[in-house]
Amino acid sequence: MTRMPENSSQPLLAVTHLSKFFGRQLGCHDIGFTVSPGEVIGVVGESGSGKSTLLNCIAGRIKPSNGSVFFNSSAGMIDLCRSSEALVRKIIRTQTGYVTQNAAQGLKMHISAGGNIGDKLMAGGMRHYGQIRKMALAWLERVEIDPDRIDDMPATFSGGMQQRLQIAANLVNSPKIMLMDEPTSGLDVSVQARLIDVLRKLVSGLNLSMVLVTHDLAVARLLCHRLYVMKQGEMVESGLSDQILDDPRQPYTQLLVSSVLKP
Amino acid sequence: MAPRWILKLENIEKDFVFHLQQGTRIVVFDRFSYLFFPGQASILTGPSGSGKSTLLRMIFGTYKTGGGHIWVRHRGRGVDIAAAQPARIYTLRRDTIGYVSQFLRVVPRVSALDTVIEPLLARNMDLEKARKKGRALLERLNIPSNMWHLSATTFSGGEQQRINLARGFIAPFPILLLDEPTASLDLKNRQIVIDLIKEALADNTCVIGVFHDPADHRDFDDHTIDLSLMLNQEVMQPCTQKN
Repeated sequence: MTRMPENSSQPLLAVTHLSKFFGRQLGCHDIGFTVSPGEVIGVVGESGSGKSTLLNCIAGRIKPSNGSVFFNSSAGMIDLCRSSEALVRKIIRTQTGYVTQNAAQGLKMHISAGGNIGDKLMAGGMRHYGQIRKMALAWLERVEIDPDRIDDMPATFSGGMQQRLQIAANLVNSPKIMLMDEPTSGLDVSVQARLIDVLRKLVSGLNLSMVLVTHDLAVARLLCHRLYVMKQGEMVESGLSDQILDDPRQPYTQLLVSSVLKP
Repeated sequence: MAPRWILKLENIEKDFVFHLQQGTRIVVFDRFSYLFFPGQASILTGPSGSGKSTLLRMIFGTYKTGGGHIWVRHRGRGVDIAAAQPARIYTLRRDTIGYVSQFLRVVPRVSALDTVIEPLLARNMDLEKARKKGRALLERLNIPSNMWHLSATTFSGGEQQRINLARGFIAPFPILLLDEPTASLDLKNRQIVIDLIKEALADNTCVIGVFHDPADHRDFDDHTIDLSLMLNQEVMQPCTQKN
């Protein structure tokens, strides 16, 4: 597991009674959870259980039908579902990062790796070219991409490299929380291990919070302090990662944990 | 003056319900109480399935407690593990309760040395100082220095167990839980581990252990707790709750 977060009384993020319906179809229902500063939260469950819907609601990409997403900003707890669009956009842009499973969606594929990072820095207000390039180089190194590749297009990168570039581009503006949707799915296991390693180091070094949606319980155990288990849009069980995985109480969690092949 | 307990089990209850297996319910603890003191070794005995590992995992917070309290003296204050918030359990595990499991959970790409010193870094020790301490302990446990920078993924069972032990002993904990720490070790390394445990005891650590080899019991015969006497773990009954 990643390094333990420091004690903190105020959560960074609090989701309360969050529901999302797509017409008559249930996305997620009456979800509540909190994330403390430095805490890594895993949301696990099978495909279609509403994990990504929940994450997209938090990220402001989907408007929830009901409930609130409170974010602890410099101006106090702000309900992202009930604030002006300008304020919500500002908080989302400066305080959160969002990493998708498909790096091609999260990156600009027609501009260079350095450009992808620089783009975010400029959106954050930086203008000095030399400075931007220097920071882009430092970030590439941090996510273990050869700095010589700074001028290459992401399309020439492997899947694992694209994913690490996406993470770097999201971290340059020092967000408080990273929202990640299946960041390791679709990668080779060796590439996965490297990505997980990079994430572990970043989280403990930056006191970053993370909400990680994954169906991979081994990844969840390695990275997450706490887990929430979702089934058909509902939250069925939550607790410390080792509690959920070693002492699952709910029938669905027991099924989930017992279905994994241990290599 | 009577010595002050460091860990107090108060009427703890634990059962497992296997929903996928006809709702079979196994009761492991039914209102079990016990006091543990600093500098004392307690050996849990009983046939397999009598709840030895379960008790260690309950104290560490990995297994949820069904009823009762597990009081731990943490920075001078009593904290009930059975009811503690996650944030409190993180700090308990960082500062107060150490746990050496039967098997090392190896993280790929992290070197053996860095695996060992993680508990020190969690307490904000300087990296170089921590590495120095880690190297000394690995040396003591006879892990060849040319393996320190490798991930423990490819290590033998005995080597992995020594990495696991080094991780458990690198930082002092007021309470140390040991689950068969010597099971896969040869005689020479077994003796080193026994010495480490004795040093921890001399340091006033409360050690609670399960030992695979009854010979180990003789080394610290302070206290044995025979779990087969308290329970009725044979009692299996179908759970009334339907899933």
